[in-house]
Amino acid sequence: MINVKHLSKEFPKKDGTKLYAVNDVSFEAGDGEIVCLLGVNGAGKTTTMRVLSTVFKPSGGTAEIQGWNILTHPDKVRENLGFLSGDTGLYNRLRVHEFIRYFGRLYGIDDATITKRMDEMVNLLDMSDFMDKKIEFLSTGMKQKVSIVRSIIHDPPVMIFDEPTAGLDILTARNIVAFIRSCKERGKCVLFSTHIMREAERLADRIVMIHRGKVLADGTLEALREASGQQDLDDIFIDFVNRNTDEQEVLAHEF
Amino acid sequence: MSFNKALIVYRKELLEVLRDKRTLFTTLLLPLLLYPLLIVGFNAIMARQTGILEEKGGTVAIADSIQNEVSRRIVEEFVKIENFTFLPYAETSQSLYESKDIQSIVTLRDSLAVDGLTHYLIGIQYDASNERGRLTYDKLKENLRNSETVIVKNQLQLAGVNPNLTEIMSIKGIDTSTSQKKMGMILGMFLPYIMIIMLLTGASTVAADLVAGEKERRTLETLMVSSVGRKEIVLGKYLTIITLGMLNLIVNLFSISFSLRYMLSQQGLEISGAHMPIKAIFILLAAMLPLATLFAALLLSISTFSRNMKEARTYEQPIMMVSMMLAMISFLPAVELNNLMALIPIVNIALLFKAVMINDYHLSHLLITIGSTLVLDFFAIWGTIKLFNTESVLFRSDDDSGSIKAVKMNKQSFFNPYYGIVYFTIALIALYYIGSYIQLKDLKTGLMQTQLFIILLPPLLILRLLKMNQNQILRLKLPKWKEVVLIPFIAFPAAILVSLLAQLINEVFPFPDHYLEQLAKLFTMDTSLWMNLLLISVLPGICEEILFRGFMIRFFEKYGKVWAVVISAILFAAFHLDPFRFLPVLFLGLLLGYLTMRSGSIVNSMISHALNNGMALLITAYAGSSFIKPLLRSDDVFHYWVALPALLIFAGALWLFHRITGGKECAE
Repeated sequence: MINVKHLSKEFPKKDGTKLYAVNDVSFEAGDGEIVCLLGVNGAGKTTTMRVLSTVFKPSGGTAEIQGWNILTHPDKVRENLGFLSGDTGLYNRLRVHEFIRYFGRLYGIDDATITKRMDEMVNLLDMSDFMDKKIEFLSTGMKQKVSIVRSIIHDPPVMIFDEPTAGLDILTARNIVAFIRSCKERGKCVLFSTHIMREAERLADRIVMIHRGKVLADGTLEALREASGQQDLDDIFIDFVNRNTDEQEVLAHEF
Repeated sequence: MSFNKALIVYRKELLEVLRDKRTLFTTLLLPLLLYPLLIVGFNAIMARQTGILEEKGGTVAIADSIQNEVSRRIVEEFVKIENFTFLPYAETSQSLYESKDIQSIVTLRDSLAVDGLTHYLIGIQYDASNERGRLTYDKLKENLRNSETVIVKNQLQLAGVNPNLTEIMSIKGIDTSTSQKKMGMILGMFLPYIMIIMLLTGASTVAADLVAGEKERRTLETLMVSSVGRKEIVLGKYLTIITLGMLNLIVNLFSISFSLRYMLSQQGLEISGAHMPIKAIFILLAAMLPLATLFAALLLSISTFSRNMKEARTYEQPIMMVSMMLAMISFLPAVELNNLMALIPIVNIALLFKAVMINDYHLSHLLITIGSTLVLDFFAIWGTIKLFNTESVLFRSDDDSGSIKAVKMNKQSFFNPYYGIVYFTIALIALYYIGSYIQLKDLKTGLMQTQLFIILLPPLLILRLLKMNQNQILRLKLPKWKEVVLIPFIAFPAAILVSLLAQLINEVFPFPDHYLEQLAKLFTMDTSLWMNLLLISVLPGICEEILFRGFMIRFFEKYGKVWAVVISAILFAAFHLDPFRFLPVLFLGLLLGYLTMRSGSIVNSMISHALNNGMALLITAYAGSSFIKPLLRSDDVFHYWVALPALLIFAGALWLFHRITGGKECAE
């Protein structure tokens, strides 16, 4: 499970001022639950997820992944976490099985277990045709499958997906969506971010709306509909933004 | 840290690197092809070309104005030279020479010397910039030497003297060096240079790819969300760079030695003894390995700092250039490794290499070389790990807050370290090109113009342009009288300490004579002491302080006051464009920076700077006075014992200064 408490992240700018990318964000995600971080581009979704995956250190607040604190036990956090994003890079000169084995070894898994898990995933995702190919020769869809196997090779209880379908074609995106659902079925805790309202509607058990680094709303789709009095998620989102900021015009422009 | 995970990273990086055709080509294939082509091919072409030139021979016009038996004899001998044609001098000869149809014009004249002997003056007109011209000259000279011997012998015989008198001395050098040592000396000249550069190129082909490349391909984040730690990533990549550097080095060494031996054997030279002993190879590799680690750490930190490979490549250039220059030390004759030289990176390896090649090295030098390189390496790798843990560096993105547009919006943002370095570079270039040019025309007015227009004016103009408060930015405010009273007690002893430091450096690295002459010129420009005081003491005291302690220091204040003082002092020392005075000026810069920052008034450092520069002048002017004379040695420099009282007064005055200035602005 994921437990975020008053998390903040600021970046210094060259002129001495600070950019508050994440500002006092708190939310939770339980096991077997899919939680969606919903917000426009630049809202702070990616920064939040990078802090959760220990790539960034928070400027304030803290978070726990499966009970491990991101500040005190970053290595334990990473062991319990699978991270996947829409444009996660792959090592082009490695063959697919080499690439997966490399990450498996970095997680400290023995070779026999890696082979076993790899075989399972290969059957599940229909990858046997290209396991021996070099990654540079793969299609986008194939690469995305490789990324999926990479992110789950250590069988983590928590999965984080950062804009997982961004830049993917419909067929590949469907694979990802199916994979996210299967994670929930296996009792994993899933956090994913998107700026596409429909995706949030379709997948999420709970939606955390985030705008300019702050949480606007947090609840099931039903609860959000009730609170805003709107039906459509687009309208709900705009409603919450308008309630919390004075910058309606800006947002109208952004949509 | 898990060494095992670092090894997993290392193995994967190596596999990936060795699958990269570009890397394979530059580290393995290129050296294996290059040297045979270069050495053997070049050698063959050269031998052939020399042969062609010999066959071509030349045409020579001879103007014999003596026309006696001897001169005829000389000409007869000339004609025997193979492939050469000789024509009598004619009016057209000179124009034929101009059009290169003939290679040389020989004129024979005689003169009667006081001793009654006839002297033959033989002029050989030739074009030394032309290979055929040089060849012709050499042939003619050699031929003349032979003629001379024969002619002298003839004359001796005629005079009834034993003709062998000309050969009563025969000189025979007995060379005790082995052919191996000889080859070692030749190899020791250029091999260190090639090896160091090869080590660096081998390392740099992969370094840019390893972190900057991963940033570019967006794989770095993938790696960082896995359970491998950052130290392990750094270590794995660091080992990869070392491996590639050493691999490139070994392949090059192999290819060079193979090609050289082939070339020597082709020329029929004795090579049986001329092989590199196994021991020497091991010593060299043992010495090169620390250098490889140092390069690896430096290149890795550049790669980490850079946003993409192109940027990394750009930042690698200065390291490449500095290394090349330092490695060139092996070309210099008579530079030998000593304990001090063994501390300078790259230079030490180059000289050690040279010494090992002729089997004439000390174990202590080897150990100091390896030790000092490893210490540097430790700091470099520590810095890289630091960089790797700094988000603002690892995820550096384009941020236009430092752009000119942003400066217009927010004036304070002008003073950022990036602009500081840019400004310093421009000022340095202006000083070097414009300053030295106007000073060459006229030293006195040149110095004055440099101080006023290159050093003082630009900062003032910039502040005016940005509409900033000059007095506040430059800390132009009156100091407290107590501070001013203390300044002479700080400045004069400091000046003595600075000059003693310079003296100490002089003992280790003696200043070249022309350098001292240059300096002396400065102190004896004008007959008027007051004019000299103005030029050397007052003007620099004001102008240089405004630039460094007023203006430059502001760019680095975001790192804290201590670092601002240190960085501005380093720039101040570098600005003097004088490696011999770097340390003394650095010390002075630290002191002046401290005085300004601590008291909040630049006037203190202005006075101090002026007093420091003025003291040197006064010492020169009043060296003979009864007050100063006991402090000086016969060569007009301070006795070393003067350091002790100077240090005591300096420390005491500084302590008082520190106490009375405990205000808001504290540097240390």
